[in-house]
Parts: sequence; C-alpha cells; structure tokens
Amino acid sequence: MAAPTIAQAPRPLTAREADALSQRQVKKHDVAIMLLHWFNAIVWLLELTTGLALLTSSFRVAPWWYIQIVQGFFQSRANMLQFHIAVGITWIVVFVVYGTFGFRTYLKKEVLQREISLDGDDVQWLRIRALRLLKCSDEPLPPQGIYNAGQKLFALMVYAMVPVIMITGLIMTFHLIGTTAVGWAAAIHFTAVGAVVSGLMIHVYMGAVFPEEKPAFFSMITGMVNELYAYSHHFKWWKEVSRVRAEILHEPGPEVAATAPPDTPQKRETPGEGEKQQ
Amino acid sequence: MARYAMVIDLRKCVGCQACTVACDKEWDVPLGFARTRVQPTGVVGTFPRLASGFRVAQCNQCERPSCVAACPTGATHQPPDGIVRIDRGLCIGCGYCVEACPYDARYINPVINQADKCDFCAARLERGLQPACVATCTAHAKYFGDLEDSNSEVFRMVYEKGARRLQTMQVAIGPNVYYLGKKQEVDLVFAKFPPRAPRMVASSEFWSRLLKPLVLAAVGATFLGQAVAFFHQLATGEPEHESQEKT
Repeated sequence: MAAPTIAQAPRPLTAREADALSQRQVKKHDVAIMLLHWFNAIVWLLELTTGLALLTSSFRVAPWWYIQIVQGFFQSRANMLQFHIAVGITWIVVFVVYGTFGFRTYLKKEVLQREISLDGDDVQWLRIRALRLLKCSDEPLPPQGIYNAGQKLFALMVYAMVPVIMITGLIMTFHLIGTTAVGWAAAIHFTAVGAVVSGLMIHVYMGAVFPEEKPAFFSMITGMVNELYAYSHHFKWWKEVSRVRAEILHEPGPEVAATAPPDTPQKRETPGEGEKQQ
Repeated sequence: MARYAMVIDLRKCVGCQACTVACDKEWDVPLGFARTRVQPTGVVGTFPRLASGFRVAQCNQCERPSCVAACPTGATHQPPDGIVRIDRGLCIGCGYCVEACPYDARYINPVINQADKCDFCAARLERGLQPACVATCTAHAKYFGDLEDSNSEVFRMVYEKGARRLQTMQVAIGPNVYYLGKKQEVDLVFAKFPPRAPRMVASSEFWSRLLKPLVLAAVGATFLGQAVAFFHQLATGEPEHESQEKT
C-alpha cells in the first residue's frame, strides 16, 4: 500500500511552475453548497450561544456572567428557549428541503464517497499528520482527494451527529414519546453537540486562522481555489480537474489532454486507480 | 421580601379532601393526579388506645429545593419570595425534578407533558387572595402567611406554638409547610410519611456525572491543542508563499 502512495506524491514545483499554477483557478464549490455552509455556520453560532446559556444547575457549562448576558439580551430564559427552538426548526426544515431537492445532485453515492469514505492513503495521511504534529516524523503526506482525511473524519462525525441532534431536539420541543425519552434526549442532545463542537473548533481554526488553508476559506466565498493550493493539498483531486496536468506531470500527449474536454479521458483513469488500491 | 409558609393544624383536619377538590378545580389538575392531597395514616394501636391522623401533602417550597438543583433548563426556579415555580416556557418535561422531590409533590401533567406542582396559588396571591385550599378548608385547619411578618398567624404558630417541619436527619432541605398539633399525632404522621432521599433519573446521572465531564474534556483538549498550534504559528510567522510550504 505504501509504495504506490509515495509514487503518486506531488513532486516539488519550480518557482515558475508554482507561479503559473497559483494564477489558475479551479471550481471547488457550487453556490448551493456555499449558501448552505454559511447558513449552517449562522445556525450553529446562534444555537451554541443560546444552548450554552440554557443549561443550568448540575448541567451548567457556561459561567454565570455569560448566562446573565445572554438571557438579559432575550429578556427571559423562556424567550431564549423559544428562539433556540425557532432557529433549530428552521435548520431542520432547510436541511429537509435540501435533502429532498438536492438529493440527486449533492447526496449521490460518488459525492458521499469522496466526502466521507476513507481509503488507504487517508489512513496513512492521518498517521503521518499526527506524527508530524508531534514532530516525530517528516515523511511527506500522501496525496489527498478533494477533501483530506481530517476533513472526511469530521464530515463523518457531523453526518452521524446532526440527525441525532435534530431528532433529540424535536423530542424535547414537542415532549414526544414520554418522560424517560425526553430525559435521555436532553443528555444525548448535549453529548452529540459536544462531539461536533470538539471537531468544529479545529474546522474553524483551520479555515479562519491556519495560514496554509487560507485558500480553502476563500473557496467558501468564491467557490474557487488556485491550482497551486489544489496541487499541494489535494493532489488527487487536482489531477482530475486541472487542465495543465499533462504539462506539470510531463505526461505524453500534452495537446490531447490540454484541449480535450477535461472529464472524458481522466474520469476513466480515476476509478482504475481506486481499484488498484483496494 | 416575603417568606411565604403554610401551617396545617392537624388537630382540626378531618380528612375531608375539600382542599384537594378546590385545588383540582382551581388548576384543572388532570384526573389521577393532584397538587395537594390528604393522606390518612390509618388507625394504629390497640383499643382503647387508638390514634390516627392525616398528612396534608403538597409542595413544601423548600429553602434548599432539590428540584431546582435537578432542573437542566432552569424551568423550575425559586424567586426571592421563596415559592418554587415552574416556567411553562422552559419546561421540557424530562421528569428529573419529579424524582428529585423527597415529598413526591411533583408529577408530569399528561395534558401539557410538563412538570406541575403546588405554587401556593401564586396567581391568586398576586390578586390578594388566599390559596384555594386555605380559603376552602372546612375546618380552617390551613393557615397561610408571611414568616417575615411577626404579626402574622403563621409566624406565631411557627415561632411561638412550635409548628414543625416534616424533615429528618437525612433529608433536611428546609420545607416551608409546617405541622401543628398534639405531639403524638404529629409524630405519628411524620413517622408514617417521612421524606425519601432525592433520586436521580438514570439519564440525569449519566449526563451530569459522565457525559458532561467527557464533553468538557474533549472540547478542552481540542481547544488546548489549537492554542498551542496558534502560538506556534505566531512564533514562526506565516510562510511567504502560501500553499508552497512544501509537504
């Protein structure tokens, strides 16, 4: 498994090549995805702000002064809960509509596969990434698809936890099933949110603060990333979408690859690579 | 601030349940539940030395209420007047408080699926009325008033006539319902209906003892790791050409 991984790793670029690549843009996100992302971000901000202030007694996690400020803003705790519920239900409705209408486009098998299924490279990536963080290794990171293994892990957890958060929220809001169920729903709601938040902090840090991932942050606004970023961080994906792939990789027949519609010859290659690895 | 209390004169109570009915009507308590009820001890002893009594049970508006401590949302709260109230806009009906109450004074109302209990008829107090049970008591066995007011009847009964709180060495959370009567009668009622230890529902215990520390640890660990990375970033500075910091 390790041998082909190293062979595929992107070679260091010359300054001229790097410059050329950094001038080129490739599309990473659809408008629908970007809108959903920022809608989701606002929902999480509002829900976490109010949710933190809602928990009291032995379940309290926020300091008292914080709770006082937030509940003062809403005039009463009951208003705060009503707001929390209203935003939460809007969130659920939007996701149900998105799931219904975007099902064929955004939730098809290939999309889910590239977003959440981990391959051998991904496992290696996680191992090396952890070792590099601990300064125990300087192995090169294996090439990654459109999302790296860390992002995939986070996506996996979010995909698992979001339905849990929604269902437990509905159980508490409408007092469904019974008293015992509501009691457990409260505990599970808190834990599922906690699990997402521990990953969400890394997600926000990587997007907003970490210098290497800056193009990823702007790609959520413009939909585009520069090819230099794609080349060094998402090499496997770059190979699929780049129009200058042949020149950079010194592959035979540059004219064909550069002029032909980019999908036809390359798409056939990708599943082949996937099969080889499994 | 007022400190409301109720005193029940067990010598006068005849167990007629008029208070129970008045309360049910006042608050639309669903069939099978009650905010207040009269529980007979039954006859004890051998003839001719027989004794019996009644316990008038309701929320005691305790000074250190275990239900407030059990409520995750703050729906059950205690304003400065000491009356423990349930905020209808906040209660999710988790039932943690029902198990926490040592006097079993709470129930989950199946119509609204929320916790419910006696609140000394707070809505009537605001209009200057007595609680429904006090107003209706056929024998005038129930007294309601302010313990901060030294001229009130309840003040005299508690501090001069020695009305007692229903509490034990194990469960002493400062109930504000007092019982007055012959010592044997009060002893009999107290022996028959002692407060139980507050209980935690499994989900509540699991949450506060295990899940909460786990989540705090996970979020704290990520935050710490991130802070280290951030200060490392501050110390080393950002690379000239982003993305070209080769891997």
